[in-house]
Amino acid sequence: MMVTTLTYTPRQWLGLLLGLGLVTAPHVNHLPPTILAFVAVVWLWRVAIIFRPDVQPGKIVLLLLTMTGLALLFAQHRAVFGRDAGTGLFVVALILKLMELKRERDVYLVVFLAFIVAATQFLYDQTLWMGLYIILVCGLLLTVLMTLNDAEGGLWRQVRAALTILIQALPLTLALFLLFPRLEAPRWMLLKQDRSARTGLSEFMEPGSITNLGMSDELVFRVRFEGKTPPMRERYWRGPVFSHTDGKRWSEAGRLTSVRTPAKVEFFGQPYRYTLMMEPQDKPWVFALDLPGDFPEQLIMKSTYQLYDSRDLADQRQEYHLESYTRYRAAAITRREHMVNLHLPGPPAQKIQDLVKNLSGYTAPPETFANNVLDHFRQKAFYYSLTPPAMDNDPIATFLFETRTGFCSHYAAAFVYLMRTAGIPSRVVTGYQGGVMNPVGKFIEVRQANAHAWTEIWLDGKGWVRYDPTAAIAPERVEQTLDIERQLETGAISYLDMDSEITRQLSWLSRAGQLWGSVDYSWQRWVINYRSASQQQLLSKWGIADLKQMFFWLGGILTLTTLMLSLFLLKRSRPGHLSAEVRHYQRFCEQFARLGFPRRIGEGARDYARRMAGDFPDQSELINRISAQFIRLRYEPKAQEEDLARFEKLVREFKLELEGKH
Amino acid sequence: MNLKQKLAESRFFKGEAPVKQPITLSHRRIYILPSRRGLAFAVVLLLLLLIAFVYNNNLVYLLTFALASVYFVSILHCFKSLSGLKVSMGRSSPVFAGEQAHFDLLIDNPAPWARTKIHCRLAQPEFISVPPQVQMSWTLAIASISRGWLALPTVTLASFFPFGWFRAWSPLRFDVGVWVYPKPWPKSVPFPDASADSAADQGHKHRGADDFYGLAEYRPGDSIKHIHWQSYAKGAGVFVKQYSGLQSRELWLDYQAVLNLPLEDRLSLLCRWLLDAQAQGLQFGLRLPGFERPPGQGELHLQACLQALAKF
Repeated sequence: MMVTTLTYTPRQWLGLLLGLGLVTAPHVNHLPPTILAFVAVVWLWRVAIIFRPDVQPGKIVLLLLTMTGLALLFAQHRAVFGRDAGTGLFVVALILKLMELKRERDVYLVVFLAFIVAATQFLYDQTLWMGLYIILVCGLLLTVLMTLNDAEGGLWRQVRAALTILIQALPLTLALFLLFPRLEAPRWMLLKQDRSARTGLSEFMEPGSITNLGMSDELVFRVRFEGKTPPMRERYWRGPVFSHTDGKRWSEAGRLTSVRTPAKVEFFGQPYRYTLMMEPQDKPWVFALDLPGDFPEQLIMKSTYQLYDSRDLADQRQEYHLESYTRYRAAAITRREHMVNLHLPGPPAQKIQDLVKNLSGYTAPPETFANNVLDHFRQKAFYYSLTPPAMDNDPIATFLFETRTGFCSHYAAAFVYLMRTAGIPSRVVTGYQGGVMNPVGKFIEVRQANAHAWTEIWLDGKGWVRYDPTAAIAPERVEQTLDIERQLETGAISYLDMDSEITRQLSWLSRAGQLWGSVDYSWQRWVINYRSASQQQLLSKWGIADLKQMFFWLGGILTLTTLMLSLFLLKRSRPGHLSAEVRHYQRFCEQFARLGFPRRIGEGARDYARRMAGDFPDQSELINRISAQFIRLRYEPKAQEEDLARFEKLVREFKLELEGKH
Repeated sequence: MNLKQKLAESRFFKGEAPVKQPITLSHRRIYILPSRRGLAFAVVLLLLLLIAFVYNNNLVYLLTFALASVYFVSILHCFKSLSGLKVSMGRSSPVFAGEQAHFDLLIDNPAPWARTKIHCRLAQPEFISVPPQVQMSWTLAIASISRGWLALPTVTLASFFPFGWFRAWSPLRFDVGVWVYPKPWPKSVPFPDASADSAADQGHKHRGADDFYGLAEYRPGDSIKHIHWQSYAKGAGVFVKQYSGLQSRELWLDYQAVLNLPLEDRLSLLCRWLLDAQAQGLQFGLRLPGFERPPGQGELHLQACLQALAKF
């Protein structure tokens, strides 16, 4: 292949730079400021070169620039692998290459790098908007490539052509997306810093700032019960317990609670014996059925009754034999614990105090008050939503009085806050709830989507008693499963709210909000979380069971779409798609051809008419008229639509008669 | 056509057997392979797939599949950019060795879409763009090195449309060519034959107002002595004077008469004499071993003689 020097007009330069700028732009949020500044400066420099070619850097400046970029990268990340470092590397490489575009080849390299930078965007942001944005920007990048291979046509024509090809590629894209086997990457491929990016429970809870609950169907653990399996409503798998709050963020109460040995617990009834198989995870937590009575030695119980593994798990699957009782009573609470679980970041707002007073929090016994609060959630318009609005300032009050929309963390946090306002020691417990029985393996699978938050309040004589305020708003959630996918499938929850009365009262605005919510949900469920489990589930519905069949179908669809697309693309080369006047004229010529007087190669319409008029003298007038009209229609730009109609009529009525000859 | 013939390597690079008729480019004549850039892009796709796999990120998968599908669909578009073109060759005129031979390539685009940036490679690559439903001619130049029949080599039409990832190409061979005449001897040399020589001398002597009958446009090979400098100075172009006085003279140009020169130089000298004789309006004949053309006159006669030299 020849080496082609780049001849770019300022317009093309601007197009290229715009495309690359748009690709990099969303990275503003995650690039370190120094690298961001570097990228911005070099980009602006490059733009300046278009208008002032004399500011093009020399070799030495270029070398310095490259060194600077690499130094900045190294200073930031001290590595070239991993999400952040890799992204930085690609962005810096892209921007540096931009300074040295001499040949067409360099443009290709830059555009290829830009595709990778576009992809890294998805490691940070997976919203529908970002998806659409990146696809459009990729369309622009394809246009840049097209300008190199398409000499003519304005920019818009090329943008349109590139987008057309993108649309033509859509069916194949979908087939690949659905059928390409999704395999879990082995753990060793994940770099240390990327592991924390996976979904899962964290060491704190911040209901107001999370506006989108991840609904990963990633497996967390499996449980196989010996003998009886506890009913769904008792399957609370205990994780971190949060007692401390600053009003927004809830976290464990620090060293004090974690180091001490837990208070004695009295157990009732028969224990559940089971084997817990934890999938590899970043944290040493072991999610035992609430509340574990007997556990292996390597496990340690915090004073909040949470279990964790004392060993370095090194990302391996772990198996534990445990024993739990679902009926229990904690014997005592220390003074310290009592204090911590009553702590509020400041005096509660007047509105909250009024609410507590209205629900007789200051007068009635704790249990009555707790039930009153649950009734309040049940009767007032509180919604369960996976995508609640952000509540940045004073999330508790905002949730209770304004948005009234949230998921388990919101309800748990608000509930505990109200309890503490009324002077009842209470805390938030996080973990998982439910889990689906796998009928084949006879074990329960608990996935990230089962993550849950509930509360415990201290009742004298009863110990810590579990209250699940989310259950007040969505009883189905407790009775059936927390597996949202399954729930939506069975129609158990209709996603935003349970009450059809309320739905009717909603303004169109909230309907639009709901609509968007469900679009976003579908996006989450079908695109972002389309993983190996959901793929198998979906494909088995269509009878595609194994990998072999998957490839078989993929090949079939590939062949089919190719065939259809080539038919679509190439059919227009047949005469049927010539312009109308040519088609009519060809019909006219065919009449002569049938009698042995075809139009010769290269013979113009005028010459042919003269020849035919000579051979068919009594038709000569018509022949000349038709030919003249054809020439006019074909070559005169002023020809009108009705001229074409007249021409067609003329041709249709033209009948060549053999008697006319000799 | 059996499989062995179908897969013959020459089809892919040299093209099918040469033909005279117009060639319509179809799937039988168009070949497609990824270009080097296309291969590089395939590597990029693999890298994207790896990122998607490691991070288990469905949107990266989606982007990868979208780009891979575009990659795949662009094969069809690449094919489409050549498919349906009707290519034929126009007439071309003979040249003297060392000159550029010109071939007219006629490209007819009957389809309603434009063909842009078609690489046409003969001697050096050139770009052709043909608007929809338009016929275009394109002149290809090729250096003629030695005398004889210069067959048009394989003309390769290629396209990298739309994204440069694939190269569709079609090697075309046409049964056309041009005669390459020997390179005329650089200087005018007196005609060989004594009688002819005297005739020429006479011609020189007798050249006067009576004999001069007009001006003709300069053609390569015309004697520099006959250039009509007056009209050239006026900026009217280059003309040569033509004389009628010598019309009746006969001149035999004989290969045997030119001695002591290598073969090519002899032919070159004969070529020069033929041209001079024609320019001076002489009656001239050519005698080569195994070829003889009696004295005659006119353009056709000259061409026949030059062709004899080219073939010799």
